[in-house]
Parts: sequence; C-alpha cells; structure tokens
Amino acid sequence: MEFETIVGLEVHAELNTKTKIYCNCKNAFGLEVNTQICPICTGMPGTLPTLNEKVVEYAVKMGHATNCTINNVCKQDRKNYFYPDLPKAYQISQADIPLCEHGYVDIMLDGNEKRIGITRIHIEEDAGKMLHNDAFQGTLVDFNRCGVPLIEIVSEPDMRSSAEAKAYLDTLKSILQYIDISDCKMEQGSIRCDVNVSVRPKGSTEFGKRVEMKNVNSFSGAMRAIDYEANRQIEALSRGEEIYQETRRWDDQKGVNVVLRTKEDAQDYRYFPEPDLSTIYIPVEKVEELKKEIPELPNAKIKRYVKELGLSQTDAELIAENLPRVKLFDECIEISKNRVSPKVISNWVLGDVSKYMNETGRDIAETPLNASLLCRIVELIEKNEISNTSGKVIFEEIIAGNTDIDKIIEEKGLKQISDDSAIEKIVNDVLAVNQKSVEDYRGGKTNALGFLVGQCMKASKGQANPAKCKELVLKYLEQ
Amino acid sequence: MELYEYSAHELSEMLADSKVSSEELTKSVLCRAKATDDKIGAYITICEENAIEKAREVDKKRGKEPLHPLAGIPIGIKDNISTKGILTTCASKMLYNYVPPFDAFVMKKINSADMVITGKLNMDEFAMGSSTENSYFKKTHNPHNLECVPGGSSGGSAAAVSAGSAVVSLGSDTGGSIRMPAAYCGVVGLKPTYGSVSRYGLVAFASSLDQIGPLARNVRDAAMLYSLICGYDSMDATSQQREYPNFAELLNGEVKGLKIGIPEEYYGEGVDNSVKETVLNAVKELEKQGAEIVNISLPSTKYALNAYYIISSAEASSNLARFDGVKYGYRTEEFTDLTDMYEKTRSEGFGDEVKRRIMLGTFVLSSGFFDAYYKKAKLVAFDICKEFNEAFQKCDVIATPATPATAFKLGENIGDPTKMYAADICTVTVNIAGLPAVSMPCGKVNGMPVGLQFIGQKFSEQTLLNTAYAIEQLNGEIKPAEL
Amino acid sequence: MGVDVRHLAKLARLRIEEDKLAKFEKDMESIVAMVEQLPEVSGDASGLDPEHPMKLREDVEGTDKLSRNELLANAPKMQAGCVVVPKTVE
Repeated sequence: MEFETIVGLEVHAELNTKTKIYCNCKNAFGLEVNTQICPICTGMPGTLPTLNEKVVEYAVKMGHATNCTINNVCKQDRKNYFYPDLPKAYQISQADIPLCEHGYVDIMLDGNEKRIGITRIHIEEDAGKMLHNDAFQGTLVDFNRCGVPLIEIVSEPDMRSSAEAKAYLDTLKSILQYIDISDCKMEQGSIRCDVNVSVRPKGSTEFGKRVEMKNVNSFSGAMRAIDYEANRQIEALSRGEEIYQETRRWDDQKGVNVVLRTKEDAQDYRYFPEPDLSTIYIPVEKVEELKKEIPELPNAKIKRYVKELGLSQTDAELIAENLPRVKLFDECIEISKNRVSPKVISNWVLGDVSKYMNETGRDIAETPLNASLLCRIVELIEKNEISNTSGKVIFEEIIAGNTDIDKIIEEKGLKQISDDSAIEKIVNDVLAVNQKSVEDYRGGKTNALGFLVGQCMKASKGQANPAKCKELVLKYLEQ
Repeated sequence: MELYEYSAHELSEMLADSKVSSEELTKSVLCRAKATDDKIGAYITICEENAIEKAREVDKKRGKEPLHPLAGIPIGIKDNISTKGILTTCASKMLYNYVPPFDAFVMKKINSADMVITGKLNMDEFAMGSSTENSYFKKTHNPHNLECVPGGSSGGSAAAVSAGSAVVSLGSDTGGSIRMPAAYCGVVGLKPTYGSVSRYGLVAFASSLDQIGPLARNVRDAAMLYSLICGYDSMDATSQQREYPNFAELLNGEVKGLKIGIPEEYYGEGVDNSVKETVLNAVKELEKQGAEIVNISLPSTKYALNAYYIISSAEASSNLARFDGVKYGYRTEEFTDLTDMYEKTRSEGFGDEVKRRIMLGTFVLSSGFFDAYYKKAKLVAFDICKEFNEAFQKCDVIATPATPATAFKLGENIGDPTKMYAADICTVTVNIAGLPAVSMPCGKVNGMPVGLQFIGQKFSEQTLLNTAYAIEQLNGEIKPAEL
Repeated sequence: MGVDVRHLAKLARLRIEEDKLAKFEKDMESIVAMVEQLPEVSGDASGLDPEHPMKLREDVEGTDKLSRNELLANAPKMQAGCVVVPKTVE
C-alpha cells in the first residue's frame, strides 16, 4: 500500500524587541548567566507582568504577513506546569483567543506554488535554560531567557513531505526577517519548531493518529525527523501495528526518536485567563497602520524579479531568500535606472557579494560596500572602462575600506586599454619575443593562443581589453 | 494617656507641633507591642531597631523640610506585603526565611511618607482563612476576648490596631480579609475598589480579587492612610488611571438624603439575630439624620460563596505553584529527584488549608471540570456585578452586617472547612464585583464588637468613609482594647 | 461527587501522607459538594472588556536593575551564578 505523509508544524520565534515581554529586562542572547533578570521574570512573590506593546505590534505584523484575521480584542491565559526553567510555574500564553488566526502562506517547491494554512499565531513568554554538566551532581538554571517574547505559529496539517515542511519553514523564516521581528538565528534557538506527523493510505481523507515530536533544533533536523517518523509509522502500519497518539523526542545525532509521553499521561495544563492582565485591545486604525508597514514579501518579490526584471526563477529565489542580498539588489536596481541589466547586477550579488558573505559570515551592510558603489563598478565594466578582473580588485579594495573608485583605478592602473593602436603595439612586442608559440599555433597547437593572450595581458599589467587582445593576436596568427 | 492610645490624626498634629517626637511615640507603641504580644500574637516580626532609627530620622527632618501628615507615625504591615530587607513570610513555613529584594508599591508610598514600620503582622497562611489560626508561626488572639479569634486573614493587622500595638496597619482583602477581622476586633477596615491600590509586591492569593487596604481605630486615620496608598501604578496592569481626592480632608458625617440599600439576602438565615439587630439599629440612627432606607434585592448572593471559593482557589492554585523550593523559601532536606523535591517541599512547606485550596483550584481548572466549575463561577460573578449595578440605581450605599456573627472561639471551626468558609458570606460579593466596602464598628453583642459593612459603587470610597464617619460620630472614636 | 485527591495532589505537586488521606478526601468532598451548587447559567465567560483595555508597556529597558546576588539571595542552592536543582533527565 502507498502512504501519504501529513505534516503540521508549530514554530516558535523569539521576537527581537528591546525588552522582555512582561518586564523591562533587556532581551539579549548570550550574556552572562542570570544577569538579565529582575524580580518579575524570576517569579518573585508579589510581582506582576506588564505587556510590552511592541510584542503585540510584532505579532500583528506577522499576522498580516501571513494573511491572518487579527483578533484586536483578546486576552492572555496561564498554562500551568512545573519545571525549574519556568519560575512562576505557569507560562503566560494565549489559549482560546489568539492574536491572529485563519491565515496562510504560499510556499514554492520545484517551481510549484502551494498554499499552507496558518491556524493561529499567539504571543507567549520563553522559559529559562537548564545547563547540564556531567561533572556536577545537579542541573543549573539560568533565567536570562525567561520572559523573552515568543510568537507561536501553528500551521494546518497541510504539508505532505519533509521537503514541503522545509519550504514552509524557509518561507516563514524569510517573512520574519523581511518584517524584521525576529533574528531567526537557529544556532541561538531564536527559531524552533515542534513537528506533528501522521500517515494515511494514499487516497484516504481521514487523518491517521498524530505524533508530536519535540527537540527539533534545525530546519534540516526537521526534515530528518519527519522522514524518520513517517517511515516508522509506515513500517509499523505495514506490520499491522497500531500508531499511538503520543509525544516523541527527536535525537538528531542518533537520527531516531523515543517516546516522551503517551496520550494517557498527557499534561493537564489547566489553562485559565491570566488575572494579572486585562483585555488586550488594539484599535482598528492601529491594526491597519501596522498592515501598511509590511514590506513586499519574498513571494511577491520573486514573482516581480522574474516577470519584470527577467531573472531566472532560481536566481530570483536565491536573492529573495537572503535579506541583505535583497536590500543590495533592490537598491542597485533603483540606482542603476536601467543603465545596467538586472541580470548583471544579479550575477554580482549572487557571485562576489554572496561569496564574500558566505566566506566571512559578515553581512554586506557591515562593510563599506553599498549599492551605489557596486553599481558604479558594474557600470564601468559594462562601458569597457575596466576589465571584469579589475572590477573584482575594486570590489575587494572597497570591502577593505578604500571607497574612492577613481583613485583605486588610477593608483592600481586599472583603466582598461581598448585603444587599437596601443594594444597592437603590445601584441607585436609579445609575438616578437614568443616566436616559438606562434609557430606552435600555426603547427596546429591551438592552445598556444591562450598563452599568447595571457602574455599580452601580463605585458599590459592587466589593463588591456582581453577581447581586443584576443582579436588582434588571432588576426596576426591567421595572417 | 499613653502615646500609643492616640489616633494617627491626633498624633499627626502633636508631631507637627513638636509636642511629641516620633521616637517617643514609636517607643511607646513598640513597648505596648512587646508587652501585649505574648497574649495577642499580632506580630511575626517586630522591627524595633529599624523603627527607632527611622523615627529619629523623621524627627531630624521635621522643621527642616515639609513632611507628610503621616510622617513619624508607626504602622504595622501584613506579612504578605513585600518589604525590602524585612522578612516577608505570608505566615508560611514555605517563606519562613524569605527576605524580598524589593518593596511593594504601597511600601514605597509608606516610606516616601516617612511612616515608621513597627513590624510584620500575623495572618492566615497565604491569606487563606477567616481566623488567623492557619498561621505557621502562631495564633493571634482577639484583644476583646483572648479566647476568641481576631478573624482573618488579616487577623494580626486588626488585632494590633485594636490592642494599640500599631497606630494603623495595612491588610489585604480577597474575600473579606480586612473587613472581617476589623469587625471581630472592633476597628475600621476599608477594602478599596479593585484597581485603586497597586497589588505590586502583595504576595498574590487570588489576583482578580486581592486588594490592599487600611485598618485603623477611626475613620479619619483610615482615610489618611488610604489617601496615601491609592493611585495608579504602571507596574500593575489592573491598576486604574484616575485622580483621587484627599479623602481625610473631605471627610464629613453628612448623610442627609443618602439612600441606604438594605439587601434582604444579607439578613436572612445564617446571620445571628443580635448582629442583625445591632446593624439595623445603627442604620436607623442614620435614618434619623436624614438618610433614606431602601429595600433592595441581590438574589445571586446565595451563589456568591461558591463562586468565590472556585475562582479564588483556581487562581491560588496557580499563584502558589511558584513555591517549589527552587528560587526562594523552604526546600526540603532530602530528595531523590526533581519531582520528589517538588512534592516534599510543597507538602512540608504548606499547611493543610493551603493544600485544600490548591487542590480545589486544581480540581476546578482540570480537564473536564473547567466548564462546570470555573466557567460557571465566572458567569455567576458577572450576574453578581449586574445585580449590584442595578441596586446602585436605587441607592447610594448598601448596608449589611460585615460578618454573620461576632468572633468565634479559637478552635471552634478548625476541623470543618465549610463551616469556616461560611464566615465569609457577607463579604465575598464585594471582591467578586471589585467594589469598595468599609467595615465599621457599630456596637457590641455579649462584649464582642459587631461590624457594619457599607458597600459602594466603584471608586465611591469617599461616600463610604463619610457614612462610616456618621456612625463614628454617634459612638465616638475607638480606644485601644484594655489588656 | 468523588474527588480524586491523589490525582489532584500529583497535578499540584503535593504529597498527601497516607494517614491524612482519608481526612483530606472527606474535606475535599464536602468542599466540592458545597461549591458545585451553582445555577444553570451559560454564556461567554471570557470577560473581555474592550471598554477598559489595559495600558501596554513601552519597549524601553529599565535602569534600576538589581544585581544577580541581590535577586538570587534567597535561593536555597546556588552554583556558578545559577540556581541548582536536582539533575533533570533531558
């Protein structure tokens, strides 16, 4: 029998507000343990929460960006459970009335678009961190992360493969980055997900028993976890076994999952309305105002790049998936005003710029390079004033802090020689001292051409227009 | 007459005129506290050194800079209000060693007014109880009859003021915890409108019902203290942004034309006849002064106690979950793992009544029971609010007994939780509706004080205090009980 | 109505000693019997009140922060700047 995999995802994203959700402690990652804390986020007796207005705004923006209905009148609820990283022994969250619900995002997979439903988006607080150390007879608790604002984005069970899940996660991540509400740093845990997987015979309309997986720490881990779990369920069903609704824990290193909780010992969170906070009300005008702040989102951007700028789907996607690239590309297009083809700019952005960002891990915005400098380089090349090689030299000089392009060209002698008589002189000189290669070529060894052009370029200190050089060398050889 | 016997408003003038120093006054009150507290048991912590030091400091300031009218006046604080650097136990073993690193909002107000903190007052553990017998540390006795309870949960706050071991005090009221002990001990107790006094730093029992308020031996003192502690606090999301008058300055005993509602439900079965009579006699005196009596009905009152115990216990079960031996307070000595540590810590740290409330709250919120208990209780609460609103179309204040009977004997109700709960029958509706109410001594039955409760619309504290003041003018200000 | 005291205690991380269980069961049953007497009411109990919404906090960092030592001075056990709990299985 053939089976179909059903995937639903619960994504938690930490918001990049200045302060925590319920107190004015700094919202920052990686600082010394228990230094970003106060009586409120450590759950001292008598303390009370106050809701950060930016958290509400950011969540509403995410709602808009994912086509949700915004519940502008809502509330918060307590989710009760005991754990040392949860100082109040309840998490302030939202239960029956989330801030946003009934939305969707469109994902692209192999050139096909698919719509994934968003059930709800709600706001809540993060828990602290437990530090385990084998050398020590206990667990240490760091409360710095307590009260860091989170949005939980719950999808409909609309995905049918791990690849779709990955595409969905990538889409959410780029939306979060586009609207600038989360750093989305996987390695810092600022975006995490729980995975729900079930399988059913192909053609069936009923859902199978759903298994929730915790501890999925990366998008690629999510794919592995989904594939593993779907296979596990399919194999079990094929053996005639039953699937149980349960929570399993994914171990990415071993590539397996184990039962964490069965349905019977499911937690009873005893949700009830948070009495320390009253009604959240966002005036309709404010909701609309926030909608206007949503920039062009990745999907729309990709479509525009392909349709209006003539980029390939692949290039458009590659640019759109990375916000610094998008910013640089869009600015270049704006500045160049059709003087340079978008394709050439795209080649630079996806070529040297991306290479630099990947190799150094730095964002281009942290360097002196900006759109107008990059456009200038591209234009100089297009106008044959400098060679492509010289363009790369200038690019590196700019990154190193030297932003005066004219000065670089002058000092490094990068101005391209396209003047026929000047190049002819160089060619004649080179051929005169390389008669052996000339004979080789004429004797059928055509690769001597490359050598001779190279020598000409060398003699011109790279300034000669290589095409012109080649043209003249060839002309002479064929005489 | 000893200094501790004077009222705060008298002392305020005496201090201002330099007829007496805060140091002398503070020593007199501390002396009274030490002399009587083995009988009364009002204090968990007496802050003798700090108090005298503070008093000296205020004496030095006096004349050099403008001082608050309550500057230099000794005040006792219920032990569930966070006091920076001073033990705050909630009368629980769970917090036997807990010293808050911050002050409650009200303590900032008290300190900024240069009041002198005499110490921390006994209470029912985590404010759960009606007799102050649920304290881990000691039982408090009623100054009017040492065999009787002072009421609860602010038993220490009422007994200290009644005994003269504090000039005024702060208590907290979740279902009657200021008004009931005020009634039993024969002092004035004000439960303010929900949202008028910040709860920041009040160790939460039931967040939607808790409110801090003053206890005093006369209405003017209560009004002065209330004026000090009320006001908006950005740290409490349920705090109301509004202007408050100076309640003490506007105090008058004018009741002419005041419509006093008498709800039949508060005078029915279960309320002691002699208490009813005493209360109604006092109301009649107001009628003689021009007040108008209106009969009203608040039919949902019969469900109030049930709704109250469901809502307050639900919130308490969540609020008290943080006491787990991890961050502060008691931690059990030996344990095998995390769950064992949690269970032993909480079982050893909490008393039986607290455990019952936590279990009740856990029950009403648990899967499958939420709708039948918590949700229904909330709907009843809405009905109670609605009925009060309707009643206030017909009257300005509502007069009821503050308690169904006078103070009972220690140990009398301890074995029967539901019988103990019934003592809150007259007071819980006020918390459910978030209204203000004052308990005013209006006479005695068999030598024990009777409290008359006036309930008003939200933010009608001035009317309530004025009405109480009219009663006070009939009987005169209260003096500390003789011991 | 029967009340499962053991289950409730477990949910609330309490442990009721065997010799006290009977008394707790009796008490809890009488308390539940009392509070469950409520009228048949229905409606929306969410209590949303957009007329009186809460004021939200500005996203500005506080300046009067307490030190770690002051904040965690009450912790029963500390090590390396952290609160210590029994080893938890990951």
